[in-house]
Amino acid sequence: MRRISKSYGSSQALKDVSLKVNSGELVALLGPSGSGKTTLLRIIAGIEDADPGSGEVLFDDVDVSSTNVGKRRIGFVFQHYALFKQMSVFENIAFGLRSKPWRERPSKAVIRAKVEELLALVQLQNFARRYPNQLSGGQRQRVALARALAVEPQVLLLDEPFGALDATVRRELRRWLRKLHDTIKVTTIFVTHDQEEALEVADRIAVMNAGKIEQFASPEEVYERPANPFVFRFLGNYNLFHARHDGAPHPHDETETAAPVTFVRPHDVEILRENPDGSAIAAKVTHIGFAGAAVNIELVRHDDQQSIDAELTNQAYRDLGLKQDDEVFIRLRNSHSFYEDYAI
Amino acid sequence: MTGAPIVKAQMADVPAVRRPAKRSFVGRLLVALTVLFLTGFVVLPVVNVFSQALSNGIGAYVDTFYVPAPNPEAKLTLPERQKLSAERGSAELTWSSIRLSCVIAAIVVPLNIVFGLAAAWAITKFRFKGRVLLVTLIDLPFSISPVIAGLIFVLLFGRGGIFGAWATNLEWPDPTSLTWQGFAGHWWPLAFARTYDGIIFTPLAMVLATIFVTFPFVARSLIPLMDVQGSEEELAALSLGAGGWRTFRTVTLANIKWGLLYGAILCTARAFGEFGAVSVVSGHIDINDTMPLRIEKLWNDYDMQAAFSVATLLAGLAIVTLIIKSVVEWKTNRTQVAEPLEMEVKSDEHRSAEDQQILRLLAGAQGREP
Repeated sequence: MRRISKSYGSSQALKDVSLKVNSGELVALLGPSGSGKTTLLRIIAGIEDADPGSGEVLFDDVDVSSTNVGKRRIGFVFQHYALFKQMSVFENIAFGLRSKPWRERPSKAVIRAKVEELLALVQLQNFARRYPNQLSGGQRQRVALARALAVEPQVLLLDEPFGALDATVRRELRRWLRKLHDTIKVTTIFVTHDQEEALEVADRIAVMNAGKIEQFASPEEVYERPANPFVFRFLGNYNLFHARHDGAPHPHDETETAAPVTFVRPHDVEILRENPDGSAIAAKVTHIGFAGAAVNIELVRHDDQQSIDAELTNQAYRDLGLKQDDEVFIRLRNSHSFYEDYAI
Repeated sequence: MTGAPIVKAQMADVPAVRRPAKRSFVGRLLVALTVLFLTGFVVLPVVNVFSQALSNGIGAYVDTFYVPAPNPEAKLTLPERQKLSAERGSAELTWSSIRLSCVIAAIVVPLNIVFGLAAAWAITKFRFKGRVLLVTLIDLPFSISPVIAGLIFVLLFGRGGIFGAWATNLEWPDPTSLTWQGFAGHWWPLAFARTYDGIIFTPLAMVLATIFVTFPFVARSLIPLMDVQGSEEELAALSLGAGGWRTFRTVTLANIKWGLLYGAILCTARAFGEFGAVSVVSGHIDINDTMPLRIEKLWNDYDMQAAFSVATLLAGLAIVTLIIKSVVEWKTNRTQVAEPLEMEVKSDEHRSAEDQQILRLLAGAQGREP
């Protein structure tokens, strides 16, 4: 399955976006709010139309741009589930099958069997007679998923599927979704603003910003080799150095317009007691934040008073025996330099 | 202050939820004022309506609506016959007013349900230019005096009105006069025995005026409801392959049925109770009287007891309306409000047993404790 989608929103919500998703893939659209990810998803679903003449959506090389939502064979799961309040769980899941034109509509027995199979898949066998308001958030989300899967969609589209759930349920449902996808192998695209969620679940991630796709690659690549500063910033905490191109951090020079910018993740900041080869930077510990498995250390550089965040494992922290106001040296392990051409 | 009273207050807190809190002087005063006001302006008048209606006994009350034909063998004096004939005529007019009120409501309410649904649908599910203007226009009948509403129709369709020339020459059959005339000499066995000339001063004008006055009720009770519900459920239904009609029937209508019923009840109550607008366009012709108009005429004829008897019907209708309205309100609140509350409690406080079981299963698969 290949798909190209491209659009000009009225206020340029999407700028010439192209995306090709392989059959059976699980893809995350990741981006801050307002980056156009939901718009893109809705255009793929056919809920919204791309601007006339701007491009097309292809499913298996077939142009579906002018096909309406109901005929595209997509399964759409809404952030707030959009379950039919007046129908039981069973009726909700059966809705898609019962809505087919009578020629294609399966018999009652087939519908029943199919719904029971789906209920088993989402592990809600005993809830068929319940109504949506008698279910917890996680259960509702699973019903919504079963309802979307009932019509055997070509593509499953999830709009912030876990956005309305609390953290624990969210984490578990995430793993569950990954497992479900491994079993049923349906092409899935989901929208999220949670980097952790995208990194953990997706086969590939499309990082979006201001209506454009900044990078479309595997989670590992997106994290380890970000294409540009935006991707780096969006995927976690970072330290920023304005520097000369030789990689050694230097105080920011105001006269240099296209100075390369160096980004370093806090866990890539190494803290040393001594300065073995003279390349490390002298700094002072200003704050120590204990966060369970990791320890967040705030430091301030001696040369330009810039503050730096470092993240140590609990073990490394104990080995160093750091205390507030300690004088230390820092070294950067894995830094990324970009020529920054836009304002921060 | 010592600690003891505080502890006491805290302990008293628990039952205080059920028992009404100790009222202050202002609280008592407000309650007393409200009760006094309601007694003076609502309870006493309603009681008065019923007591006046029954002031001459049950027999007189029944006679307002139905006077039996005199026994042909009974020997009655001329004044007795005249009195009986007048009573029968009056009862006949009262009945006709009840019939007309019912006919008007039966035409107006379904039309306004359709219109209200369409308007609420357009306003809540679409974004278009002039949307705010449309909302304002729907509210217009609420802000206009009903007499003006009636006058608008007189100025439109009356002699010398904008459509006066066309409207006064319009001849239309009275649907209630449909009679069976047989096939002899006709190819079509049904015919209308009466026709109306013009629009103004006929029941048609009264229907139009009533539509105007009552059309905000359904739309107004649906708009907030449909606004809250948004269109996600409809989109979900469409994405599952349901057609427009099926989506409307199984999703939209199912979600708004109580709100719709609520609007229809208010609309019915107003259609029966409307006085000003229909009074202007009825032309004060006896056969054009609705119940409120009939009450006014009886009152002007110094027939207090009869006027109050007809009024009891309207009061009874109001009471029935109030009861249905509270039931429907309770139903709508239950379907609307209960849900988010329940959701919050469940997702935050205690996950359901099923969720926890799955978490355990998943944790087991990964070889660790949840």
